[in-house]
Amino acid sequence: MKRLIPFIIILLVLGAAVASAYYLKRSSTNVQPVTRPVNSSSPSGSPGAPQTPVAGAEPAHVLGPKSAPVQLEEFGDYECPPCGLLHPILVQMRKEFGDKIAITFREFPLVPAHQHAIAAASSAEAAGLQGKFWEMHDLLYENQKVWHETFDVRPIFEGYAKQLGLDMDRFKQDVNGDAVAQRIFLDGKRGHSLGVKGTPTVFMNGREVPFESLPAEKLRVVIENELKGSR
Amino acid sequence: MISGSSSPAAKRQKLLHILIVLFSLCGLADSIYLTVEHITGQSVRCTIVAGCSEVLSSSYAVVGGYPLASIGALAYFTVFSLAILALFGYRIAGTLLLPLVLAMCLVSLYLIYLQAFVIHAFCQFCLFSAATTFMLTVLMLALWKTRVPS
Repeated sequence: MKRLIPFIIILLVLGAAVASAYYLKRSSTNVQPVTRPVNSSSPSGSPGAPQTPVAGAEPAHVLGPKSAPVQLEEFGDYECPPCGLLHPILVQMRKEFGDKIAITFREFPLVPAHQHAIAAASSAEAAGLQGKFWEMHDLLYENQKVWHETFDVRPIFEGYAKQLGLDMDRFKQDVNGDAVAQRIFLDGKRGHSLGVKGTPTVFMNGREVPFESLPAEKLRVVIENELKGSR
Repeated sequence: MISGSSSPAAKRQKLLHILIVLFSLCGLADSIYLTVEHITGQSVRCTIVAGCSEVLSSSYAVVGGYPLASIGALAYFTVFSLAILALFGYRIAGTLLLPLVLAMCLVSLYLIYLQAFVIHAFCQFCLFSAATTFMLTVLMLALWKTRVPS
């Protein structure tokens, strides 16, 4: 019997390891429901546990009709590589589903992890003040690898602004202005109130889409199922 | 238990084996967490803590189609099993421990090199795993030094 004790211990630890892995997997893939409507003005407090969802910057950057049956809301960081990978997928979804889906983008720059995240978010928001948010948004994601490793990104972002035909004096002023800072702050506040911990985080009609469902082939199925459910 | 001997060397060996068991459990827990994060895709997401997403989404995080962390979990579990068997007097298990831990130490050094000079980012969970492996190596070398001649 004594000879069997080590094997029993090993089996017990193996069982505990498998059980803990299963528990971790289950808890990390839980879809978190979010209450809608989300126009509450209550303060978000410190980042951390999800609280009553607060409104982000208004007007929000929305691609697609507000009446679309599938409303996607992305919290993204322009310097985050997975967000860069998600960008063409969302573009593709817009092409495939047309007016059946609407995509809202919320700024969620991860500081200090990404040193240029704030500058990139500010450039997108400053372009947004001149009606070119989505154009700048696309340029930032499409060229992420170009500016990501650059020490001074300002000239690059100003180059994009010029390329988009923006009023450069206004752009330079807006990038460091209060209006832009306020929008980024409000989007971040909304993200924290929804329990966003990383990017990209996508909500679909108020429910968080599990990260592993974000590849195109899976997201397509998720959207199709949501459309079937909304009929 | 080890040879049933109560000599100081045997007692030290027993203590070292118990420490190896405990450290291998720490490594096992860390690598299980990383494996689950990898499988669910969480590790690839960017978070406020820099480094992990860069390291765990790199091509070096997968070996032969399997998450590197899962191979780590297997290695730590093997170390745990061998240490438990050695603790209960299975001498062959003790003999197998040293090459396994040394191999894990070399792999950890290589992974730290990758983080520092290739990926240019550090993941705290990977560093914890490396620290655990280094501790296991120190314990194994101490065990080797205090081995009881058969």
